[in-house]
Amino acid sequence: MHRRSLNGLEVPLTALRDGETGVVASIKAGHGRGWGRGWGFEKRLMELGLTPGTTVTVVKSAPFHGPLEILVRGSRLALGRGMAERILVEIEKQ
Amino acid sequence: MTKQKLVIALAGNANVGKSVIFNHLTGLHQHIGNWPGKTVERAEGTLHFKDYTIDIVDLPGIYSLSTYSLEEVISRKYIAIEKPDMVINVVDASVLERNLFFTLQLIELDTPMIIAVNQMDVAKKKGIEVEPERLEKLLGIPVVPTVATKGVGIFQLLEKAVEAIERGPSTTHAEVKYGGEVEGKISEVTGMLGAVHFLYPPRYAAIKLLEGDAEIEREVSKIDSKLVSVAKKFADEIENLHGHSCSTVITSERYELAGCIAREAQRLVPPTTPPLEERLHTLTTHKIAGYPIMAFSLLFIFYSIFTFGGYASELLNNFFYGLQPVFADLLGSSLIGELVWGGVVEGIIAGVTIALPYIAPFYIILYVLEDSGYLSRIAFLMDNVMHKIGLHGKAFIPMMLGYGCNVPACLGCRIMETERERLLAAFVTTLVPCAARTVIILGLVGQFLGIQWALLLYILNLVVIFALGRIAFRTLPGEPTALIMEMPSYKTPQLKTVLKETGFRVAEFVKIAFPLIIIGSLSIKLAEIAGLLEQVATVLSPITVVWLGLPLITGITLIFGVLRKELTLIMLATLLGTTNFAQVLSPVQMIVFTIVVMFYVPCVSTIAALTKEFGWKKASFITTFEVCFAVALGGIVLRILTAVM
Repeated sequence: MHRRSLNGLEVPLTALRDGETGVVASIKAGHGRGWGRGWGFEKRLMELGLTPGTTVTVVKSAPFHGPLEILVRGSRLALGRGMAERILVEIEKQ
Repeated sequence: MTKQKLVIALAGNANVGKSVIFNHLTGLHQHIGNWPGKTVERAEGTLHFKDYTIDIVDLPGIYSLSTYSLEEVISRKYIAIEKPDMVINVVDASVLERNLFFTLQLIELDTPMIIAVNQMDVAKKKGIEVEPERLEKLLGIPVVPTVATKGVGIFQLLEKAVEAIERGPSTTHAEVKYGGEVEGKISEVTGMLGAVHFLYPPRYAAIKLLEGDAEIEREVSKIDSKLVSVAKKFADEIENLHGHSCSTVITSERYELAGCIAREAQRLVPPTTPPLEERLHTLTTHKIAGYPIMAFSLLFIFYSIFTFGGYASELLNNFFYGLQPVFADLLGSSLIGELVWGGVVEGIIAGVTIALPYIAPFYIILYVLEDSGYLSRIAFLMDNVMHKIGLHGKAFIPMMLGYGCNVPACLGCRIMETERERLLAAFVTTLVPCAARTVIILGLVGQFLGIQWALLLYILNLVVIFALGRIAFRTLPGEPTALIMEMPSYKTPQLKTVLKETGFRVAEFVKIAFPLIIIGSLSIKLAEIAGLLEQVATVLSPITVVWLGLPLITGITLIFGVLRKELTLIMLATLLGTTNFAQVLSPVQMIVFTIVVMFYVPCVSTIAALTKEFGWKKASFITTFEVCFAVALGGIVLRILTAVM
């Protein structure tokens, strides 16, 4: 399937399907109003364990573009979709 | 003989069972207040052990010691500046790695500490066996395994904590070492900081400067602003080298270390129980099944709170009014008697019968929802909907409760993470028509104009909530936050803890609300006795009569409505001398009146709740805004309706 060709490419966490696993590459900081640096969501995510190089599994996402349920470092987190879109991951080689 | 005083603080992530340990340690000798000048809660308790009187301070549940939230800033300052004699770091054995990430930061802060590895049983079920001895060796810090929910290990914990205090400051704890380049920069900055006297340990401050911690930067620049820019330069160098920001590099490396320690201290064994919690989790967050389950649970909660509340409320009401003749005998029908009964006692009755029967069960259920972990699942399911009004999933609970009574709903807003969110949620909640307002909507508009008009008003209400919510979201200072929330494993809530917390909350509410309620009802009674009410109605007539097109008398009813909203309808009937409102009010007047009542001011109990949570300034701002808004909206609707009809 063509999604395999994403190997080594960075995709937003939201591009992962339920049950898929990726490795955090980076977190895009926001600009201006919105999920900006001032709020520190980037740092917050890392403090919850989403540092570059960490494996993260998307368990499922809530319907109607709701938040994502992810597993990271043994803990289960819910992430708002806007934020999950800013987390870039590499899909692990199968 | 006076006993020696000690202070022990509990610190750790959220959902690790810190409050259960706190309750075990302190029993009933607790005091819950706020941190000075902050809306963050401070729980304190005392206990006696050996020859010591020990103060236990329960710090807020946090994931890091940076400056992401007020809770973190408070905890950090408390540990570094007020220097408790000992910090008990409570860690969750089932999520050891992330918990140790916090532990490492405590170590960096040179905190005198011991560790309680809690939820050993939960971890075991999940297939994780933590070996306390290994962890103790790896960290060089005393470790006590606990199962707080069963009271296991609590005594040993206290014993070890006191032992560690008696032993004096230890130097045995592990050092948190970073990679070569980072470590080099840290030592350089530490060296420079070593010369100045600073609140925080030099190495800690150096690390935080490199991480770009705004608060430490501010503190350091007061002493030596050059240092901050040097650290910034170093941070840039590291960023260039690693391709990630310096703060990212440091956080990653700290996590790396936490991971190493966790892996060495734990053994993975096959999970012992069929993962029932896991299945429950899957079901309650299911794309389709999750919603009916949620709707059913919430309806059940709603129904039981208000059935119980209504029943208890009536019972209490009958009881109190049964006392009226006794009072009348006692005080006679003198002026003072009337004042005491009409002002003070009726105020208390209003408080006792409206607020308490709903607040107590509400708190119980809120804590059960929170402790069990279901609250976070509801937030997960509702996040998207709540985003439309600028809030995230958690705000759904207080909003829904608002339909019953705004008072517990406002108090429930404390489940939101930041103060901005708490305020936003509370504001939106006060616009939700509570049961008393429902009485008016249904009893006036529904009864005399038909249910479709009542429904229309509910829709108007939702539109207003949506619009005002968005406006408030845009105008309120501070950054909006999105949902980042842990969904802890499902647990059976601890009834004892739940009841205790409920008791404290209710007492807290009574202390704040009752004076306000009594003052409110007393002043209205005074005005009534002095015959001022008619005059007030006349003064209000430009608004009530001219702008809103209502009868003069409604001015009085609207004032009484501040005490309790259903009074507006009751007073209207009394003052107009009929319950057939169709005779005295035109359909348009009914709609306008109902709209005004729906929005015009939170009742005095709600104002008290707002004051308790946010201070009188914000409470009066919300109140004033809503009065102006309701009057403006009422007048506009009047003009539209008269033009159309």
